[in-house]
Amino acid sequence: MSDDPLLIVRDLEKHYPVRSGLLRRVTGHVEAVDGVSFDVHEGETVGLVGESGSGKSTTATTMLGLEESTSGEIRFDGEPITAFDGDERERFRRRAQIVFQDPNSAFDPRLTVGESVAEPLAIHGLRDPDRRREVAVDALERVGLSAADADRYPREFSGGQKQRVALARALVLDPDLLVVDEPVSALDVSVQAEILSLLAELQTDLGLAMVLISHDLGVVRQVCDRVCVMYLGEIVERGPTDRLFDDPQHPYTEALLSSIPEPDPRGRDDADGTAPVELTGDVPDPSNPPSGCSFHPRCHRVVPPESFAFADGRFRRVLDLRLAVENGDLSPDEFDDSSAVRTEYGLVDELSDADAERVLTEAAEAVSAGELDAAADRLGAFDTVCERTDPALEPTAAGHHAACHRRGESVEGSSEAE
Amino acid sequence: MADPLLSVRDLHVRFDGDDGTVRAVDGVDFDVRTGETVCLVGESGSGKTVACESITRLISTESAEITGEVRFDGTDLTALSESALESYRGGRIGHVFQNPQDALDPVYTVGAQVVEAIRIHRDVSKSAARAEAIELLDRVGIGDVTERFDDYPHQFSGGMKQRAVVAMALACDPDILIADEPTTALDVTIQRQVLELLADLQEEREMALLFVTHDLGVVAEVADRVVVMYAGNVMETADVYELFDAPAHPYTRALLDCLPGRGEGFETIGGAIPDPTDPPAGCRFRPRCPHAIPECEGGDQPGFRPVGPADGEADGDGANETGPVEHRVSCVLYDDTHGVPSDLEGGR
Amino acid sequence: MGVMPSSDSDSPEFTRVDWDTEAGGRRRPAARTVGFALALAAIGALLTYDLLVAPAKTIPPLEWDVRKEGWLVLVSLVVLGRYVLVPLVADRERTARHVEAFLRRPAGVLALAYLAAFAVLGLFGPDAFEFTYAKPAHNLQPPVFASVNMSVTDGYSCVGPVVDGHCQGTWQYPLGTNYIGENVIEHFVSGIHVAFKAGVSAGVIMAVVAVVVGTTAGYYGGWVDDVLMRYVDVQQTVPAIVVYIVLATLYLGNVENISDGGLFAFVLVFGLLDWGGIARLVRGEAIQRRTAGYVRAARAAGASDLHVIRRHVVPNSTATIVTALTRRIPLIILAQVGLAYLELNRTRPVSLGGVIRFGLRERYMPWHAKWWTTLPAVLILVGLVVAFNVFGDTVRDVLDPREEVR
Repeated sequence: MSDDPLLIVRDLEKHYPVRSGLLRRVTGHVEAVDGVSFDVHEGETVGLVGESGSGKSTTATTMLGLEESTSGEIRFDGEPITAFDGDERERFRRRAQIVFQDPNSAFDPRLTVGESVAEPLAIHGLRDPDRRREVAVDALERVGLSAADADRYPREFSGGQKQRVALARALVLDPDLLVVDEPVSALDVSVQAEILSLLAELQTDLGLAMVLISHDLGVVRQVCDRVCVMYLGEIVERGPTDRLFDDPQHPYTEALLSSIPEPDPRGRDDADGTAPVELTGDVPDPSNPPSGCSFHPRCHRVVPPESFAFADGRFRRVLDLRLAVENGDLSPDEFDDSSAVRTEYGLVDELSDADAERVLTEAAEAVSAGELDAAADRLGAFDTVCERTDPALEPTAAGHHAACHRRGESVEGSSEAE
Repeated sequence: MADPLLSVRDLHVRFDGDDGTVRAVDGVDFDVRTGETVCLVGESGSGKTVACESITRLISTESAEITGEVRFDGTDLTALSESALESYRGGRIGHVFQNPQDALDPVYTVGAQVVEAIRIHRDVSKSAARAEAIELLDRVGIGDVTERFDDYPHQFSGGMKQRAVVAMALACDPDILIADEPTTALDVTIQRQVLELLADLQEEREMALLFVTHDLGVVAEVADRVVVMYAGNVMETADVYELFDAPAHPYTRALLDCLPGRGEGFETIGGAIPDPTDPPAGCRFRPRCPHAIPECEGGDQPGFRPVGPADGEADGDGANETGPVEHRVSCVLYDDTHGVPSDLEGGR
Repeated sequence: MGVMPSSDSDSPEFTRVDWDTEAGGRRRPAARTVGFALALAAIGALLTYDLLVAPAKTIPPLEWDVRKEGWLVLVSLVVLGRYVLVPLVADRERTARHVEAFLRRPAGVLALAYLAAFAVLGLFGPDAFEFTYAKPAHNLQPPVFASVNMSVTDGYSCVGPVVDGHCQGTWQYPLGTNYIGENVIEHFVSGIHVAFKAGVSAGVIMAVVAVVVGTTAGYYGGWVDDVLMRYVDVQQTVPAIVVYIVLATLYLGNVENISDGGLFAFVLVFGLLDWGGIARLVRGEAIQRRTAGYVRAARAAGASDLHVIRRHVVPNSTATIVTALTRRIPLIILAQVGLAYLELNRTRPVSLGGVIRFGLRERYMPWHAKWWTTLPAVLILVGLVVAFNVFGDTVRDVLDPREEVR
C-alpha cells in the first residue's frame, strides 16, 4: 500500500454545448464541471455535496471516463485514464465502479436479480455461467440478501433491497474505487441508515476507496472522511468532515448545514430567534453563471463595497434590489412610491452610512418612477468584490480549503463596522 | 373543545393485489383541527398515502374498497356522491403531491394551470382569475411572476414547480391542505424553503395542514401533532414535543433512532414491513419489536392507551379523542397490568 | 437480523476471480447463432442449386418448386425461429410465466388459436390438400348443410340429393364449388397460403428493418437519429401501396403473360417501405431505455453498445414491437387481397382477393345466390384482423415490462 492517492482529479472541466435552432448550431456552453480538483485515497470515503445542478454527478461520470472530459487530468493508480489502451481500459472498468441514483430503475425488469448482478462478469468475459452465479450469489449474501433472492425479479424487492442489489452488482468485479450517487435519496429515512451502515461496513471489509455523492450533508456526515462542497460546477469548500461541519468556511456550506432538518422540534423555536441561514432562490442557470463568485446572488455573507459601511445583513438586501433592477425582474409601474420599494426589499430604516443612504434613496425613487435604467446607474455604486473576482480554493484559517473572499475571517462573528 | 375540522374514524382501505387482498389501511383514526399541522409519519408501505388519498377518494386503484367514517366540517365524506365530492377536492380540501413533475401538465403553461384550478371551483372571469393566479404565484415565491406566468413546467426548477403546485392547491382557499411528501423529491435546501412557505401560508390563512412524510426530521420542523403509522395502523399519536421527548411505542423509538444525529452511530430497525396481504396477528410491529412479549400476539392491533401523566380524563378507550389525552399508543406494554420496560420509560 | 453482511474473515467470492486469466475471454459463438448461420447457409445453398443447377426442376426432398417469394418465406421462418422460438425455449421459466399469464386471458387464447390454425393451414395446407381440376359439370354446388334453388340456372346438375327443386350440399364439396366447378375449399386453402406467405415474409422484413433503424436512431440519437427519422418522414409520405401500384403498372407491366411481379414484388415493396411507423415506436422505446438505470449500469461496467442493445434495449421493446406488428400485418394481408381483387397482384396459387373477385362474377347466378364462394373468404379476413388485434393486446398486457417495474 502506498500513500499515493488512488484517484487524482485535477482541474477537471466538462462543458456541454448548448444547441439551438434548426441546424443545431452551438450557441453556448454549460459549464457543468468547471475546474474541480480532489484526491481519493485507498480506504477513505470522500463526499461530493451540492444541490441539483451543482455538477456533482457529472464530476463522477467524467472522472470514471464514462463521459469525455473537456479538459483536466484524471489519474487512477498513478496513470492518466485517457492514456489507457484497450486492456488497461477494461481493467479500469473493473477497478472503478459506480452505483447510479434511483435503485428503482436500476434493473432490467426482465432479468432476475441474480442475472443482473452477474451481468458485469459476463461483460468482462467470465465464461462459466455456474461460476458467474456463484460469484453473484456470494455478492448478494455480502450485502445482506440471500441466495434465494437471486432467482427473484427486481419488482419483488423494496427500494432498500434494490439498493443492496445495486451495490452487489457494483462489487462483483472486485473494484478498488466505488462511486455511489445519491445512494439513499430515494429511500425512507429508516432504510437510509441501513444502507449507509452497509456502505461503511463494505468499505472497511474490502478496503474500498469510496466517493459518495449527495445533496444532503446529513447523509455525508455519517459516512465520509472528507467532503467537497460543490456549487455550480466548482468546489467551494473542501476539508475533513468534522472540521467542515464544526467550522464551515464557505457561506454556502453554512447554508447547506442549516437546511438539514433538526431532529428536535424545540430546535425550530430557538431557530426563530437566531434566524437560520436562509438560502433563497435556486441554483442559477449553469449556461449563464453569475460573474465572480457564482454564489454571490444567494450569499448571505456577500462582501459589501469597500467605500461604504453596512450593518450586518443590510448589504444583502441592497444587492437584491440592485440585481432585481439589473436583471429586469422589476416592471416600471410595479411600485407606487419609493417607500414601497424599500418595504419590498426590507430597507425601511435608513442606512447608517450617509453616502450609501443617499444612493439608495435616489435609486428607490428612480425605481418607483419607472426609470429603471437610472436606478441601475445609481445602484451600480454598490459593487462588490464577490461579483468582480472568482475566489480561488485556498487554505483558510480553519485549516481546510474554501473559495470565498471572506476566507480567513471567522465566519461566526463577522460583522461590519458601522 | 370544538369538533375537529377533519375526523377520520376506523378507516379501512382494501384493494385486490396480485397476491390477494391488500389491507393498505386497516383501521385508522385521527383528527385534524382548524389551523393545526398534523403529520402522518411512516415508512413506505405504511398506508399513509393511501389513508390521506382516501379522504377525498382520490385513490387511484380502481378496486379500492374504502370503509369507515371521514367527517369533514360535519359532513361525512364517505357518504357523498362522486360529484358532490368533486366540489371538496381542490375546493375546501387542497392536495399537494410528492412529485411536482407529475402534478403539472407539461402541455399547458404554469399560469394557465393555476387559472384553471381557480375556475374549476369558482365562477370568476378569466381576467379576474388571471389576476388572482398572479397574486398566488407571487405569494408562493415565484419571482418575476408576470414574466414566468406563461412559462411551461419544464422551464421551472423542481422547487419552483412545487411552489406552483402549492399555488394551485391554494387557489380556492382551502380549509385544509393535504400535502403528501411535498419535499421528498427536492434538495434539502429547497425542502427548507418549501417547508417555510407552507408554515407561513398556514399561519396567514389559518389553514389546517395534513402533512405526510417518512422523515421525522421534517416532522420536527413542521408538526403540531404527529400520527405514527405502521402497516396500515396507527401506532401512536402525540403532541410533537411529547413524541420527541418521550416516544412511547417501540416503533416510534426505532424510527427516531434511525434519524441521523439522534441515535448513536447507525441505528436500524432491522427486518421489513409485513406483507400487506397477510399481516401478522396482534400488534403489527411485533415481529420486529425488541420488546415483544407473549401478549403482543393474537387478536387485532391493540387498542389505544393513554401515555404519561394522564390528567384524570384518561379512560384508555381511545374512543373519546377530544379530551386532553393527547398522547396515546397502541401497545400492550402500556396496559396497567404490564410494567413498562425501564428502557422505554420516560423521555430521553 | 441477517441484514448486515457476514463479517466472517473469508474473502468474498468476487475477490477470487482471477481476471488476468478470465478477462478478454470472449464467449464462443452461442449454439443459437451457429444454428442460425447454418440454416441461412442451407437456404443459400439450395437457392444456388435451384438457380444454377436445376432452375426448372423441383427441389428433391420436398418436391417443392420454391419460387421467389418462397425463398423469402423460408428466410423469414428461420429468422422467426431464431428470434422468437429459440428465446422462448431457451428461457423456459420466463416463457412458462408468460404462458400462464396468457392462459388467464380467454380472448387472447382464442385469438392465438385462430392465428395458429391460420398458420398451420397456410404452411401445410397446400401439401395436405389434394388439388383437383375444375369439373364444369359440378359447378355451383352448395356447401354441405345448405341448398340452392335449381331453377335459377339452366342445365344445373346436382351432385347431392334434390329436395323440392333445391339441390342439397354434400361432403364431396364441403364448402361447395364455384361456377367453373372448382372446389371452393381448395381456393380458400390456397388463399390462406398466400396470405400467410405475404404476412410472414413482409412482417419479418418490416420487423427487422424497423428494429434496426428504430433502435439505431433512438439509441445513438444526434445526427444519426435526425437522418434516419427524416428519411422515415419522407418514406411515410408515399404509402407503400402507391409505390407498388406505380411499379406494377409502369415497370412490371400488366400485359398478358407478363408478371405484375406477383407476391415477390408485393412482399419486397411492402416489407421494405411500410416499416416507418413501427420504427418510430421502437425509437421511442430505445430513447427511454437509453437513459434507464440498467443501461447506464451496464455501460459503466464496460458493456459495448451492441451488448446493451441486444441484451437490454431490444428485449425490453418486445411488447411494443409485437403489438405494432399485429396491427400492421393484417393491413398488409388486406392490401394484398385488395390488390389481387383489382388484378394488380396476381398470384399462383390464387389469393383470397382473386377468390372474392371470381365469386362476385355474375355467371349463372347472382353473387348473393352463390354466397358460399365469397362470404367465407370475407369472414376469414375479418377473423384474421380481429384475431391479430386481440392477440396483440394480450401480448402487450402479458409482456409489458413497465407492468413489472411497478
